[in-house]
Amino acid sequence: MNGRVVALIAIVSLCVVGGGAYVTVAALTAEGTTSDERPRIVVDEAGAATLPAASSLLVRAVDYDNPRLNGRVYRTELAPGDTAESVGGLACERVYVSPTGTGLCLAVARNGFDYQGLVFDRRFQRQASFSIPGVPDRARVSPDGRYGAFTAFLSGHTYSLGVRQFSTHTAIVDMRAGKPLFSLDELEITRDGERFERADANLWGVTFVDGDRFYATLGTGGQHYLIEGRVSTRRARVVRDHVECPSLSPDGRRIAYKRRVGKLDRWRLHVLDLSTGRDVALAERRSIDDQPEWLGDAHVVYSDDRHVYAVPADGGGRPHRLVARASSPVALP
Amino acid sequence: MYQAESSRVPLGHRGLRAGAASGRGGRVSRNVVVLGAVSMLTDVSSEMVSAILPIYLVFALGASPLQYGVVDGIYQGASALVRLLSGFVADRWRRHKDVAAAGYGLSAACKAALVAIGGTVSAVTAIVLVDRTGKGIRTAPRDALIALSSTPATLATAFGVHRAMDTAGALLGPLLAFGLLLLAPARFDAVFVVSVCFAVVGLAVLLLFADGHPRERDDQAGIERTVDAGGRTRPTLREAIALLGERRFRVLVGIAAVLAIATISDGFIYLGLQRTLDLSLTAFPLLFVGAALVYMALAIPAGRLADRLGRTRVFLGGYALLLPVYAVLLVPSAGLVALIFALLALGAYYAATDGVLQAIASALLPDRLQASGLALLVTAISLAKLISSLAFGLVWTLGGLDAAAAAFTAALVAALMLAGWALARSPEAIA
Repeated sequence: MNGRVVALIAIVSLCVVGGGAYVTVAALTAEGTTSDERPRIVVDEAGAATLPAASSLLVRAVDYDNPRLNGRVYRTELAPGDTAESVGGLACERVYVSPTGTGLCLAVARNGFDYQGLVFDRRFQRQASFSIPGVPDRARVSPDGRYGAFTAFLSGHTYSLGVRQFSTHTAIVDMRAGKPLFSLDELEITRDGERFERADANLWGVTFVDGDRFYATLGTGGQHYLIEGRVSTRRARVVRDHVECPSLSPDGRRIAYKRRVGKLDRWRLHVLDLSTGRDVALAERRSIDDQPEWLGDAHVVYSDDRHVYAVPADGGGRPHRLVARASSPVALP
Repeated sequence: MYQAESSRVPLGHRGLRAGAASGRGGRVSRNVVVLGAVSMLTDVSSEMVSAILPIYLVFALGASPLQYGVVDGIYQGASALVRLLSGFVADRWRRHKDVAAAGYGLSAACKAALVAIGGTVSAVTAIVLVDRTGKGIRTAPRDALIALSSTPATLATAFGVHRAMDTAGALLGPLLAFGLLLLAPARFDAVFVVSVCFAVVGLAVLLLFADGHPRERDDQAGIERTVDAGGRTRPTLREAIALLGERRFRVLVGIAAVLAIATISDGFIYLGLQRTLDLSLTAFPLLFVGAALVYMALAIPAGRLADRLGRTRVFLGGYALLLPVYAVLLVPSAGLVALIFALLALGAYYAATDGVLQAIASALLPDRLQASGLALLVTAISLAKLISSLAFGLVWTLGGLDAAAAAFTAALVAALMLAGWALARSPEAIA
């Protein structure tokens, strides 16, 4: 046999044996789940002390070193010294729960490749699942638990400039049926009474007012509009601009949101009073890419994808770290 | 080293019988099959990584969508910069195989780097940049080697064989990654390790079996007489640039660029099909797979047809196949039959144009400037595609999908007529 063939056979054998052994070990260790490891979520005492008593939060663990803990959902009382308590076996990239206990978890599917939405009940037991066509980004559930909404990033669409950009897919979920009802692309949107249609329109970041009305973001041509719509009529109207990822306060009067600063993807958290139009920047000076959440009517909570923070909703005070190694905070009743 | 003669000898029973035993058509050389195998193995390696890259970055490393966008942008754009340079270097020092091997080696090293240090977003960004640089380095010299290993009568068949094998690898890679993640959930390192294996075997096949100096092709091209006055001296940068002054090559580059400007970019076509036919978004990736399967199946027959009937005829026919695809975009409420028809036409268009254009160009180019010329052609087409993408996005945004598809249909008809006219006017046959 010629020398080159021998060399190739040697290299191929080495690769088959070495690669095969590695994959085998990986498959075996990935199966043997040792999930009794302690969560590394820590409630920050100084931060928790600034909040009203008896606040509690649902968060997901951020632990990139440990794929088995990453995304696990924890409940914490935010009392000094409290350690987070794991709820159920859910692992979510984004999670939300309504005061009724019905929740939506956006998760990586079992094959580690696809994404799915899981509807869960008050005991955090999975009730239904549906597939999600992209990278999960935002999740919300209406206060009565009737509807949910999710936003996912779709990659790979080549828009102008030849640069691949993200487009978003946002859908309303029928929580009872456990599947998406319609995509926000189908909304009939008006602005000052006239049809407002744009080919490059992207919609994301739903927040519900009640079991029908909702707010969301409409992005088109570099502008970001706040829209108000109804699930029942599938219609919406443009309310104002410069609002992304809105979040309605429990009293229904204000919207916390992220406001783009400059041309780059940098955002400041703001609170907008819907009746007076008064808009204040919050004391968090870093760029935050999150859909904020309200904790009572006086605080806004959010994450920087590493830790969860709280900041006063009136623009005063300063941000406090609440929970280390967590994201996707949801205030619990 | 390999004997120069051996690559000239048709493979006989071991080779791919690529056509009639005599006349135009015929068999492709063993070197083309070797290079096809190298590309297939390398594509398995790189496509298995690119298939899982988004989920790895976002879920294992916690990248923000913006960071992912940056990495994806690099993935799409980085290779163009080094392509021209590597093509010229390969020609000047007659080191096509070595330059290509450097490119393949760089990419293999990057897969290994992903295993070793790919634990942070910034490291992955840097690795992806180097990996794509490797791709830019290897493409032009590799295509030049394919051309130099083929007889003038089998050029298109040779490129067809290579593209078919290349596409097979691109289809296998994501499947393999998917299977590995099923076996070992969330173990991205296992995917990277297997990717390294494929890259290393691909590099080994190149180094051990590819012939870096295939036959000194007889000068049938004609260009050599005007450009290559100095006999067998090293080609200079001036000569490489002067290729664009040669009439027939310039006409070819012009035709290819004009057609590329009138071509709706792949992403927009798939997006348009998805919108027109109201496909579920989960079915979206199947569009790519469908068109790639057709491309893979038809690449060799299309090459053979081009070698027999005339390459420019098949090349222009391939572009004409885009017209029914555009028509499907324009027809409201098109059905499943229309979708299958569109994917067949799209796959056949890839098969009839991609490798065939390289074949037309290499038949015009002198041996000593193959890699430089092919790199120039590909760069011109990339620029044209960028313009096309900008224009289509703009028209879609302003006037809607129908207006954009209609405008590009008109542009393509005009471009085809212009191409036919330019070819007919050309005093000497281009191919």
